[in-house]
Amino acid sequence: MISQEELIKYFLLESEEYINTIIEGLEDLEHKGYNKDTLEALYRATHTLKGSASIVKFNKIATLSHKLEDLFEALMNEEIEYESSLLNVIKKVINAIVSLINEISKLKKEQSEIDDNLLKLIEDIIERKISYQPEQVAETYISMPMLNSVRVDLSHIENIFDILGEVILQKNIINDREKELKSLIDEILNSGKKLFNEITTFSDRYWLTPLDKTHKVLDSFFTDFSDLEFDRYDEYHIFTRKIAEITNDINEGLNELILFFDNLSYNFKSLNKEINNLRDNLLMIRMIPIGRLLNKIAEAIKDIANSLGKKINIEIKGSDVKIDKPIFDALYEPILHLLRNAVDHGIEPPETRTALGKSKIGNIKINIKKEGKYINISISDDGRGIDIEKVKEIAFNKGLISQEQLTFMPKEEVLSYIFAPGFSTSEKVDFQSGRGMGLNIVKTTITKLKGTIEVSSEIFKGTTFLIKIPQSLTISYLLIFSSSNLEFAIPINYIEEILLIEDFPEVKRDKKINHKNRIIPVKIFSEQYFSSNGKDKDRGYIIIFNFLGIRKGLLVEDILGQEETTIYPLGKFLEGLIQYIGYVISSNGVPRLVIDPLRIFEEEFYFAHAPTPHIVKGAKLSRTVLVVDDSISVRKSLQTLLESKNVRVYSAKDGAEALNILENKHVDIVITDLEMPVMHGYELISRLRKDYRFKDLPIIVLTSRGTKKHQEKAIDLGADGFIIKPFDDKTITELLSKFEILNSNIY
Amino acid sequence: MDEEIKEEKQFCVFGIGEREFLIPKESVVQIVDITKIFPIPGSPDYIVGALPVRGKIIPAIDIAKVYNVERINYSDNKLLVVDVDGEKIGILSDITPFFVSFDKDIVVDDYIDPKKLFEELKVKQPSSNKANEF
Repeated sequence: MISQEELIKYFLLESEEYINTIIEGLEDLEHKGYNKDTLEALYRATHTLKGSASIVKFNKIATLSHKLEDLFEALMNEEIEYESSLLNVIKKVINAIVSLINEISKLKKEQSEIDDNLLKLIEDIIERKISYQPEQVAETYISMPMLNSVRVDLSHIENIFDILGEVILQKNIINDREKELKSLIDEILNSGKKLFNEITTFSDRYWLTPLDKTHKVLDSFFTDFSDLEFDRYDEYHIFTRKIAEITNDINEGLNELILFFDNLSYNFKSLNKEINNLRDNLLMIRMIPIGRLLNKIAEAIKDIANSLGKKINIEIKGSDVKIDKPIFDALYEPILHLLRNAVDHGIEPPETRTALGKSKIGNIKINIKKEGKYINISISDDGRGIDIEKVKEIAFNKGLISQEQLTFMPKEEVLSYIFAPGFSTSEKVDFQSGRGMGLNIVKTTITKLKGTIEVSSEIFKGTTFLIKIPQSLTISYLLIFSSSNLEFAIPINYIEEILLIEDFPEVKRDKKINHKNRIIPVKIFSEQYFSSNGKDKDRGYIIIFNFLGIRKGLLVEDILGQEETTIYPLGKFLEGLIQYIGYVISSNGVPRLVIDPLRIFEEEFYFAHAPTPHIVKGAKLSRTVLVVDDSISVRKSLQTLLESKNVRVYSAKDGAEALNILENKHVDIVITDLEMPVMHGYELISRLRKDYRFKDLPIIVLTSRGTKKHQEKAIDLGADGFIIKPFDDKTITELLSKFEILNSNIY
Repeated sequence: MDEEIKEEKQFCVFGIGEREFLIPKESVVQIVDITKIFPIPGSPDYIVGALPVRGKIIPAIDIAKVYNVERINYSDNKLLVVDVDGEKIGILSDITPFFVSFDKDIVVDDYIDPKKLFEELKVKQPSSNKANEF
């Protein structure tokens, strides 16, 4: 439950606004005389003030505002005549309210008593019992309490978010650059070390022995030379020494560079953290506890229940969960709708409930829970539930569903038809037990918020709606893919899993796949968007979407990764392209259009299906290992071992061949030898780490050199683990499990 | 770029193929070198794609497709960024656009009204039954 303190804070904020509106209105009346519009504004402000005060149970303010409301209403409807002298009375009431607000601000409660005479006076005025005698002393307003907050126009915050978007973009660029810098430094370091070693060995060999001038050189190689040539030998000595010194300097410089880079890297990391912090904090600015919304709706719903002669109790849990302001605003209608339906169709009249052995008072429970970046709102009632047979009947009559489908369809799926467009609006009258009107609108609204809604119900026991929405609309989670050399993004919230095209060789011909005993229709992205079949590449992925239980596949050529970013609108000129939600800009400045997944399959949505849509954190892929080793026996033995564990294996005999495979095939992990012809393991690792596509690809080094030095070098270059030759089953299994290669349940 | 000359109106001249067009100077916000244009699948053929400029994308319009100008070689190397009520659109130009002034009352041919151009060329939403045919 939202704390009383928090509620008071909001009430103070709100009341300030209403009081200001009222004072402005009164000033208008004072200077311009009677005006119906002004009175209406005054009436509305007092009405809302009354409402807010009663939610927080500030009954005195509620009573006073109620009286004022009555007075303004009477004036507005010209039941009583407006006299400027009335203003003084009104001002007195306002001052009484403001004093109470001041008390609340200080003491968190209303302390002083209401002046009954004042109330009586207003009542009398309204009932025209007395003609009001103006007092001579004009009232002045008491000032409102100082609040520790400012009101900011939402557009300012939007602006800050735009700037933040740019900052995050630059941050991402810096992050990429940092990695480039790191590999550059590694390369220099490597070469530097080589140079240093060469020079050292060289000078060790030619330098130490004949240094001493007094010492006669006995080597025939030297004695055979003339003195002149000996001078040269001296120069040669000096040169070598100089080179050695310079190399030393370079080496020192390199060490400093490493230190510098480490510091810089640390600074980048801190900057990163702070920017993320900033983003989270900024997001919080726009966040509003959902309880404020629910409290308002709950009051309205209780009124409705009363008018229907039903008694209800609304229990709200988790109302301090915060949501983004635009979502907050957009949720009002759908939640009101669901609750109204619950009261209208769900909760039975008290007599019926008693007869059924239920408590007289109907219970509605609203439960809000934060789950990662999403918020779950469940709304359940203990009413009569939805009659599944009636749903079947209507779905069948409307032609949404065939007789055969009905026999096999699970209950949840049948239920989900209540969200279908035009499902029951016309049946409202005889569809008593169901949820009548406009559930399709509810669903549409939720879908627009990138959320989902499900229903479950048990006849005579009750109905539960589960809404799942993102906490914020500003930052979206996108899957990046490419097609015809263009990059695109698609929101991940509908994506259930990602499959490899190799496992479904007929997909391009059949336009459907059989996956986990489900026939899933598949569209080919390049056909849809480029009207080409994208050349018959055998590479590709099938993205499986789950739209409230309906699964659809989309075949794309390549998947580049996942990103968390702000979607920009396309603008007025391009907004007719409704297949796009907007666009994002990648860290290296490439624009990516964001596909609206619902549009791709649009013509196939005549209705909505049921159960749990599953939001995946990452892409689940079949596991593939690339083995790189120049020895065929190692390759074969490793391949046999891995294949026995249901892992797909590609093999290459050197780094160059490995790169070629990686270019064309999807690989989950690389196991590589270090010493190989053409391109050795160190180079392969360093190349992979420089390529943004492979920078996070796990690499395991397979080596017979068990020394720490070798291991360290490989780790420095970016390897993730080791296998020392000769290897056994157990080591491989352990290591691969560590990288989640073996615990895949795809097969 | 010429400084203001009184009693004259200033235009920006850009060229497509053999033809030259005029657009009011004040609506031109920027002239960008085209490095790479990213196609927008599903857009009308006169929209050749989008060009990222300072973190935002600007749709690039090929006037040749609109006015049926014949063009032998595509050497569109400049993008004239035009602001229409806060929305930015880009027009391809084969030549580097330059500014000219005319007497106020001279009627010029090949004059482009940016607002009209925007309204006529902006992408219309497909009617609902054809929503998927892009």
